[in-house]
Amino acid sequence: MTADLVSVRGVHRRFGSGPASVHALRDVSFDVAAGTMVALVGRSGSGKTTLLNVVGGLDRPDEGTVVVDGTEVTALDDDGLSDLRRSRVAYVFQTFGLIPVMTAAENVGVPLRLARVPTVERERRVELLLDLVGLADHAAQRPDELSGGQQQRVAVARALAASPRLLIADEPTGQLDAETGLSVMALLRGVVESEGVTVLVSTHDPVMMELADRVLRMHDGQVSC
Amino acid sequence: MIRPALHRPSVRGRARADAGPLLLVAAVVAVVTLLAGAAPPLLRATADDAVRDAARTAGRDGDVLAHARWEYDDAPDGGRIRAPRLAEDVDDFRERATEALDPGLRAVLRPPVAVVTSPTLKVTEGTAPRTFRLAYLVDGRGPHSQTRVTWVAGSPPAPSVPPERESLTVPYGGPPWPVQIGLSEVDAAELGVRPGDRIPLVDEFRRAKDVQVSGVFRAEDSGDPTWRLAPWLLRPVAGADGVGTTRLGGLLSPGSLPDARLAFDQDELDRAVRFSPEPGALDSGTAEAVTGTLVTLKATSGASSVQDTSLKWETQLDLVLREVQTRVNAASAQASVLLAAVLTGAVLVLLLAADLLARRRTQPLAAARQRGTGLPDLAAELLVESAAVALVAAGVGLALARLVAPGVSWWWAVPVALAAAAAGPGFGTLHAARATRDRRAPANRAARRWLAQTRQLRGAAVEVAVLVAAAAALVALHQRGILPAPAGGAAGPWSTSDGEAALPSSAPALGAVAGALALLRLLPAGTRAALRWALRSRRPLAAFGAARAAATASHALPPLAMVAAAALAAFALTLGATADRGLADGAWRTVGADARLDANPAAGVDMRALAGRVAASPGVRQAVAAQVVDGARVTTESALVTPRLVVVDAAAFRRLLATTPLPDAPDLARLGPAGPGGVPALVRSGDGSLRPGMRLRLPRDGDAEAVPLTAVGTAPAVGGTGDVVVVDAAALTAAGVPVVPNTVWVTGPGTARAVAAGTDGVDTVLRAGVLHERRGAPLTAGLLRLAWTSAAVLLALGLLGLALGAAEGAPERWQTLSRLRTLGLRLREARWVAAGELLPPVAVAAIGGPLLGVLLAYLTAGPLALRVVVGAEGDPPVAVPWWGIAPLAAAFLAAVAVVVPVEAAVRRRRRLGEVLRAGAG
Repeated sequence: MTADLVSVRGVHRRFGSGPASVHALRDVSFDVAAGTMVALVGRSGSGKTTLLNVVGGLDRPDEGTVVVDGTEVTALDDDGLSDLRRSRVAYVFQTFGLIPVMTAAENVGVPLRLARVPTVERERRVELLLDLVGLADHAAQRPDELSGGQQQRVAVARALAASPRLLIADEPTGQLDAETGLSVMALLRGVVESEGVTVLVSTHDPVMMELADRVLRMHDGQVSC
Repeated sequence: MIRPALHRPSVRGRARADAGPLLLVAAVVAVVTLLAGAAPPLLRATADDAVRDAARTAGRDGDVLAHARWEYDDAPDGGRIRAPRLAEDVDDFRERATEALDPGLRAVLRPPVAVVTSPTLKVTEGTAPRTFRLAYLVDGRGPHSQTRVTWVAGSPPAPSVPPERESLTVPYGGPPWPVQIGLSEVDAAELGVRPGDRIPLVDEFRRAKDVQVSGVFRAEDSGDPTWRLAPWLLRPVAGADGVGTTRLGGLLSPGSLPDARLAFDQDELDRAVRFSPEPGALDSGTAEAVTGTLVTLKATSGASSVQDTSLKWETQLDLVLREVQTRVNAASAQASVLLAAVLTGAVLVLLLAADLLARRRTQPLAAARQRGTGLPDLAAELLVESAAVALVAAGVGLALARLVAPGVSWWWAVPVALAAAAAGPGFGTLHAARATRDRRAPANRAARRWLAQTRQLRGAAVEVAVLVAAAAALVALHQRGILPAPAGGAAGPWSTSDGEAALPSSAPALGAVAGALALLRLLPAGTRAALRWALRSRRPLAAFGAARAAATASHALPPLAMVAAAALAAFALTLGATADRGLADGAWRTVGADARLDANPAAGVDMRALAGRVAASPGVRQAVAAQVVDGARVTTESALVTPRLVVVDAAAFRRLLATTPLPDAPDLARLGPAGPGGVPALVRSGDGSLRPGMRLRLPRDGDAEAVPLTAVGTAPAVGGTGDVVVVDAAALTAAGVPVVPNTVWVTGPGTARAVAAGTDGVDTVLRAGVLHERRGAPLTAGLLRLAWTSAAVLLALGLLGLALGAAEGAPERWQTLSRLRTLGLRLREARWVAAGELLPPVAVAAIGGPLLGVLLAYLTAGPLALRVVVGAEGDPPVAVPWWGIAPLAAAFLAAVAVVVPVEAAVRRRRRLGEVLRAGAG
């Protein structure tokens, strides 16, 4: 049996106060096994992004606990959360989030720079990752010289650079056409297989749901399996 | 014509939502309008003060003088008729001169004083060469109003004939006609005479004169301006008739004036009417008209060679007024340059603020467009808002200006108000149009590149236009200078509002903008180079900061505003410091040392001994005694010149110069004993009338042969005078000319204390005092205040530009930083990265801006004619005020240290999760 990498228990998250407050997460509890790909689906406003933020330590719940790779995320201070994101949790943004003046290789190397990985090792790792995402020939190109799909592949490579245990992707194919989106989804599935990374991805895409090991459905701030 | 439809709720809603930026725009407009509105009337007031000051300090140069020959007094059957009513004639002459004046001119002159003076006579007794003159003074109170003196011994001068013989005829060639005079107590003591004594006098033909002392008087008010016309009536005046001479004078009365006429030949007595200017009646507005009237008066005056009794007019007042008008024009033009600099900085900051506002409003404006609002309607709505803000703020600024200044000028406020009113709608409409236009970025890479190149070309065209305008302005400034053309006359303050002068006046401002654009052209390349270096380094924060800086380096407006404002602030500081340096140098040249002690002739102080005493005081480096004679008569091979003659121990003088910042005079080493060509002398002349190599002659008193001089080198500019002759004291003494020092120059830190103690009987001129007085002169003080104020305002505008630029880039910057934080960047590291992004343009502003400003000062200092305002002979050397520029640069760098933490504190309140995918999920 595979151990759980993520454990969420009794999480509540409200935004605002008084009558106008929004209860984004209501008593959410679930576990994610290590090395699996979990799709988080639901309508807009159902709380998917809020849940991903809470799991990744980008936001703090009002109640409940989140444990990632044995660390209680909800108990960490700012620096602890930074360390968590630096080493064990990575993100893929819908809008890629690449640094425009850096090449694809340099963008991929950003987490390694933050971790102060020696240059030689960093370059080797970047080369490996670009090869993994199929962009070895585009290492020297800047984001504006790449297509949307290629940029998202670079983003995935960057997310994997620091060898995270958990990769969180929020609508990673939201800005891509169907074909390109499919290749990115396949890439994420491949990453789970080859790197043993746990992927928690929010999506509307039925293909992605099919690729996932498990689907969590969200409705009005609550999760159902 | 379709009128734009205004949706008032939208106007009100946008104004409420963006009240902060709008208030900021209003504050900038109000402050700059206050400065622009108050500076011209304040300068006009200082110009009026300067004109009055010039008239007050012009001395006899400011007087308007009317001469007229006497009517001949020959009797029909030979001899000369005594004219008993000569005093009344003099009074009539005074009235005739007064009536001949233009009413406008008369209104700015004081009541006249008629003065009758004899030729210079020689006192034949005593060893020291002394001269003597007779004088009759009468003011507007009439011939019998000589109540200005108290007779302490004897009585007023009386006629030399009894009343029944008052109109007698005196044969030609008779004995000297007796004439009675009164003497001041000091002059009587100097001559050693008492009432009833005769003064042994001869004229230049050695004809004896019969001058008897009737009484000794004391002036009731020795400060009465009337005495200024003949100061030797009150006390001996040294050097008035040549080196080593002392002039004394005898006062005539209405009763003795007819005898004085007979005591001299027909035209030997000079009669004149002097009008002194009334400073309070003059101002910069009337000065021009008065100058014109004076020029006309002199042009229509009878020639002095004409043998009739018509009025011959003389005055230097027109030159005095023209000179001060030139200074006023120079100060006005320099103030225009400073105001143009402030306006340029303000307009750039207003453009930046409008751009920021438009970016903040892009979404609501785009939404309004999507709801069907046309661009003209949007533009009209934005114009209503910005015009209201600009007009109200400008009104507040002008109202405040009216409170602090004697008037208000709206002319210079117009560009600021216009920029504030137009920039908002311009940028807002542009952003709305861009946000809603259908055209998308082409997928084709070549097409995208073509679009990018088109944008670059458009930007380059604007930059080239600015460069061409700046070059044209600099060329115009160098070719015609900042002063109005002489043909235009003295146009008074703020004549630079005309288009012809606007281009040169804007040269530094345009130069700063052009220079800033040139520097900013280098910024992207610099940041890319920094990024390449940072990526090779093992410092992740440097790499991220450099990456952000490279990504934002092409945003031109924020760094343009910062660099231009910093450059213009440094320019203003340098301009002020250069003017101040000119004043300081001028004070050194005028005084010649830290202090100058001028002997009071009446006190009889031994200046050599005084120099020795002062030199022994603690803190005194040098104390050198010299005889300084202004207007000494020196003849060249072909002309008579009247330079300042300085007789001094040459070696001591050189040692003294070495303790001052005054230029060294190595030729002083050439002075020494007389050689075959005569006594060595150093000469200096503004017009070339005295040149090294010339042979000169120094006339001596009486029959003694003139002393030959040989000009062996160039003299230092002693006292800032143009024409100077310096001779070694020992050599001149050896040549038989008695040297009586009347000046002591003192240098050293203890000078003030040394001259304050034990210097009775001398007039002390302290360099620090002269400098203080000149700094406080109206035009100079006004210009310096404006320079410092402009620098402060420009620095504030530059810092505001930094803050606005930071605010403009903040959303994108912190979004990137938030993404980096999702990769593990800590908050404090994010602050360093943000600082790294902001630093390159700020560093360019902090370092390149001031250097550009100093360069502009070097390029324009000459044509800006600072010498005119500071009263220097030549352009003062550019003084770079590092004491002001260093804090200026530091202020920009320190501002980054404030902006970044403030930004971080503001952004910290936002959830990091927002970056993941705002609004969804």
